[in-house]
Amino acid sequence: MSDLNKKLIIAFFSVFILGIIGLFTIDQATQSRINNLPLITEIPSFQLENFDGTSFTEQNLDNQITVASFIFTQCEGACPIMSENMGLLQKRFAESNELQFVSITTDPDYDSKDILKEFSNKYSNKNNWFFLRGNIDEVVELSQDGFFLSASLLPLGHSTRLILIDKDRNIRKYYEGTIDANIVELQNDIVTLIKQG
Amino acid sequence: MKKQLFFQSAVVSTILSYLLIFVGGLVRVSGSGMGCPDWPRCFGRWIPPTSVDQIPSYIDPTAFNIVLAWIEYSNRSLGVLVGLSIIVLNIIAIYYFRKETKLLISAILSLILVVANGGLGAIVVSSILNPFLVSLHMILALMLVSVLSYACIESYKLIHEDKFKNLQGSRTLSNSLILFWLLIFIEILLGTGIRTNLELISIDNPLLSKGELLNALDSYKYFHSFLGFTLLFLSIYIYAKLKNHNLFIAKFLGIFILGMIIVQIFLGEMMVFFELPQLTRLFHTWGSSWLVGVIIILYNCISNERSK
Repeated sequence: MSDLNKKLIIAFFSVFILGIIGLFTIDQATQSRINNLPLITEIPSFQLENFDGTSFTEQNLDNQITVASFIFTQCEGACPIMSENMGLLQKRFAESNELQFVSITTDPDYDSKDILKEFSNKYSNKNNWFFLRGNIDEVVELSQDGFFLSASLLPLGHSTRLILIDKDRNIRKYYEGTIDANIVELQNDIVTLIKQG
Repeated sequence: MKKQLFFQSAVVSTILSYLLIFVGGLVRVSGSGMGCPDWPRCFGRWIPPTSVDQIPSYIDPTAFNIVLAWIEYSNRSLGVLVGLSIIVLNIIAIYYFRKETKLLISAILSLILVVANGGLGAIVVSSILNPFLVSLHMILALMLVSVLSYACIESYKLIHEDKFKNLQGSRTLSNSLILFWLLIFIEILLGTGIRTNLELISIDNPLLSKGELLNALDSYKYFHSFLGFTLLFLSIYIYAKLKNHNLFIAKFLGIFILGMIIVQIFLGEMMVFFELPQLTRLFHTWGSSWLVGVIIILYNCISNERSK
């Protein structure tokens, strides 16, 4: 019997240790999610135009979590997938008024306001997604110096990344806009930011 | 001596498998399943990276979270360890026990299950944690510990033949244990079903709170509770039947089953009504998985000589 008692004590002790390990691990995992959203840089000032003619500046990023992308409407490779993914996120977070979407065209010569509007109708299902155009030099500057994303050989050479920007205009993280696993991660990170308030 | 060797090897494999279920549950609860986006290696390395510089250029470094990577990788490493221990078990079985069909078959079957579940683990990662596949991964693990528990008790009986010789088996008790095993398996399936659905709903509705998620569930969540209480009554019956059993182990397991069911019902109901730490979820799943193996052991303990 004393042998059994010894075994029981070992068993309970092991379960106790496992519990502590579990608690610690879960806590670390939660913490790592928050730490994994570092403040990368603040978006500089810019001025672009939405397809409805209104102006869109860095101030429109205030108090909103923003998912941004660079696209152009004639693009056949990544842009449709990126835009579909953004549309998916827009649908999933439809209940939230803390989230907005921004797509900036890298082909303003072709992408007129009307064409952007048409493109918007195809992917967007709420009025919190802005399709912006502006002077090509300004777009290049914003991409390279504001978002640290390469913008050579435009329109084709735009980045396929989605950018997560917090309510204080800070870039928090980049996501490959065409990879499902990264979209799932972006979704989780948006939830983390919303919960943080 | 050889029997002892097989028994010890089976016990080690079983305990390691239960640890693996614990760590697997930890991966699911902590949301670390995509900690390593590739398989079998982690960010192209056999030892997960410890800093961002170690990530190969073809993998997007922003996907890297060192904590999640190591949690996920500990599940895989332990899986390999379980695989190795089962290979040892098979070597012993094939070398010494080719004539003992029970031992041989349970060893081989456990090897098939562990390899299959390792492969399924790869599919789970490539499916970006499809909740159905995640649950199937756990169900295969439960089958694995069932088979290993069987190997444990059968080899134990070979060593201690005298203890099991003159046992009076009770048909109703044996049948109620079979029923219990089936019900506990269904109960765990329902539980994983609830979790699967919660995860599916929460992918499409990332902003729902826990209460809203539970409300969005189908009505079979009540069936999980109902079956839990059915199992409670059944375990009371089993406990009463075993209270005065000659075999100490049978008596002990009777108490264990009843106690575990009570703890699980308590944990389960608490999780519905209170915001408890995720650890509760982990122990709810893990504790129930113990019942699966324990019933197998108990059944083969008391139903021993009836067939001979």
